[in-house]
Amino acid sequence: MADSSQTPAYSISAVARMLGISPSALRSWEERYGTVRPARSKGSQRQYSRAQVDQLLFVKGQLDDGVQLSQAFRLLAQQLEMGVQPAAAPVRPPSHPILILLAERDPYAAELEEYFLRTEGYDVRVALSAAEAERLLTEQSPEVVIVDLLISGNQGLDFCRRIRERGGIRVLAVAAMDLGDEALAAGAEAFLQKPLAPLQLVSTVKDLLGTSALARVGARMPAR
Amino acid sequence: MTARLPSGHERLDQILDGGLPANAINMIIGPPGSGKTILSQQYVFHNASPDRPAVYLSTVSEPFDKILRYAESLGFFDPAAVGKSVFYEDLGGALIANGLEGARASIDRILKGRRPAMLVIDSFKALRAFCSDEAQFRRFLHELASELSALAVSSFWVGEYEREEATQAPEFAVADAILALSLRRLNAREIRVLQVVKLRGSGFASGEHAYRVSSRGIDVFPRLADPTDLSAYAMGSERVSTGVAALDGLLGDGYWQGSSTVVAGPTGVGKTLLGLHFILGGAARGEPGIIASLQENESQLSRLAGGFGWSLHAPGVEVMSRSPVDIYIDEWVYELLDRVQKVGARRVLIDSLGDLSLAAGEELRFREWMYSLTQRFSRLGISPLMTLEIADLFEVRRLSEGAFSQLADNVVVLQYIRSRSEIRRAVTVLKTRASQHDIQIREFRISEEGIVLGEPLRDA
Repeated sequence: MADSSQTPAYSISAVARMLGISPSALRSWEERYGTVRPARSKGSQRQYSRAQVDQLLFVKGQLDDGVQLSQAFRLLAQQLEMGVQPAAAPVRPPSHPILILLAERDPYAAELEEYFLRTEGYDVRVALSAAEAERLLTEQSPEVVIVDLLISGNQGLDFCRRIRERGGIRVLAVAAMDLGDEALAAGAEAFLQKPLAPLQLVSTVKDLLGTSALARVGARMPAR
Repeated sequence: MTARLPSGHERLDQILDGGLPANAINMIIGPPGSGKTILSQQYVFHNASPDRPAVYLSTVSEPFDKILRYAESLGFFDPAAVGKSVFYEDLGGALIANGLEGARASIDRILKGRRPAMLVIDSFKALRAFCSDEAQFRRFLHELASELSALAVSSFWVGEYEREEATQAPEFAVADAILALSLRRLNAREIRVLQVVKLRGSGFASGEHAYRVSSRGIDVFPRLADPTDLSAYAMGSERVSTGVAALDGLLGDGYWQGSSTVVAGPTGVGKTLLGLHFILGGAARGEPGIIASLQENESQLSRLAGGFGWSLHAPGVEVMSRSPVDIYIDEWVYELLDRVQKVGARRVLIDSLGDLSLAAGEELRFREWMYSLTQRFSRLGISPLMTLEIADLFEVRRLSEGAFSQLADNVVVLQYIRSRSEIRRAVTVLKTRASQHDIQIREFRISEEGIVLGEPLRDA
């Protein structure tokens, strides 16, 4: 079966944020070295897998250590040739519970997703309709919103756009259909097709929060 | 295409157009002893990993310990995986204590706790006994299916269902794929057959596919039934010698490469001998050949060939001898096709069609099989020569097994001719596709060098 670490999920802006570099730098790395080539969606949007994020984090780590860019990519290529996948960068545990809003149309999926997220220490609010999700978004100010795009008769995309207008909130879109293009265009930073594997769900949320955890100092604290 | 779950058995995955759907509800049904538990464990051990573990739940028809005890004797069973990537658990206790509610709660606990990528419930059918009415069972099914569908988990519901139940029982409507294992009576023997009853979102090889069960697991032989592909059916532009010079002349310089030939005749008339001419003559020209015999074993064939000063150990000659007893035609044909590929065979002698036809059990099935085989050979540019025994000893007036000869490009009839006090042998080329040939009855004799053609019989 497919290894979920290879599943294309993240938008270029999400990866750029995780690495702390610009999307244009990412595009130029891809063009110059070709070592990390994200999958292209039907609409030709870049979608990076978790494994590729780790590869780019490896390069970034080398750069931070003073290694030249071309040398960093050469080291990465050597590792990949030997079949070595750079290890996932450690995520610093958050200093406070992070609030996740789960806007999910399927009550069975909602119950399971909430369970898996809570066991990871996240605080979770569940909305089973778009209207409820809007209300919780305003009242609770979550850091991450997981949106089933098919919620309340396909209102998920509109919901994503409204979250983008607010700014500063990570959006993970999910759907039973492949709506990755639409999701990324509507402002989601990652898309996963359902059904979700618990590990994949949790690690994607962690990735989206990764840099925000590192850059938390001085960041906006959720209003509770 | 939806993601697939491979079985680890190439031919089974071929039948399923790549595998069962992953993250779906798959049912494996069949009578006791048909190999359902073995097949589901094949899937488990092939796919489970510590990151993507499998949970095998026994219910009440197969005691937990028994499943484990028998599983241990299977070749693919990996004791090191148990407790790391494969977990066996008992659902029977929860079922007996709290009925379907208890089972649901246990499954929910397992899905959350173990986070399996695969979940087997064996036997699923046994769950039915724990519901007081149909509505309760349907509610249970709905909840279970909803929970399983919300997660990336491939589940297997295993049960002793009859094929007929697949159209009525509600669990079948919920399932994304249904594999039915059954025993089929063919004359005095039974063969095991696997059939895909349902496979959502994908095509599959229809019909019944024979399989065997051994300690290695289930071994399936997809029903050889190639779709008609007229474009691919093209005889080569070269001729292949029959191995008998004078007979080549009768055929207009031998057979077309890739064409199929039936040599029909009564017992002892020289069909196998003509086949040996074909294979050994080809090998001498650098065209490897296989003698696929169901009539004689290798030493009998060696003796026959040795009588003419020939050796079956000559380069480019391969013998595949099998007893016709308890043979599965599709198992046999995959072995033949494997051998053909291995030795790069250009010629194949099949001795005889009658044995294979009996093994097939049904004429229609056999015709389909033979059609597919000759088409495959044709596409590969391989020329098969197939013997066919006919009942008439003298004066063959018609080929009762006409269907077989219709499927062949060339038909050569060998027969006995009564002539006053002696019996002579004669050969006639009844049909050659796409070439001119002489319809003569030519006498032939079996000499020290094999078959030697004589003069045409004008008034036999």
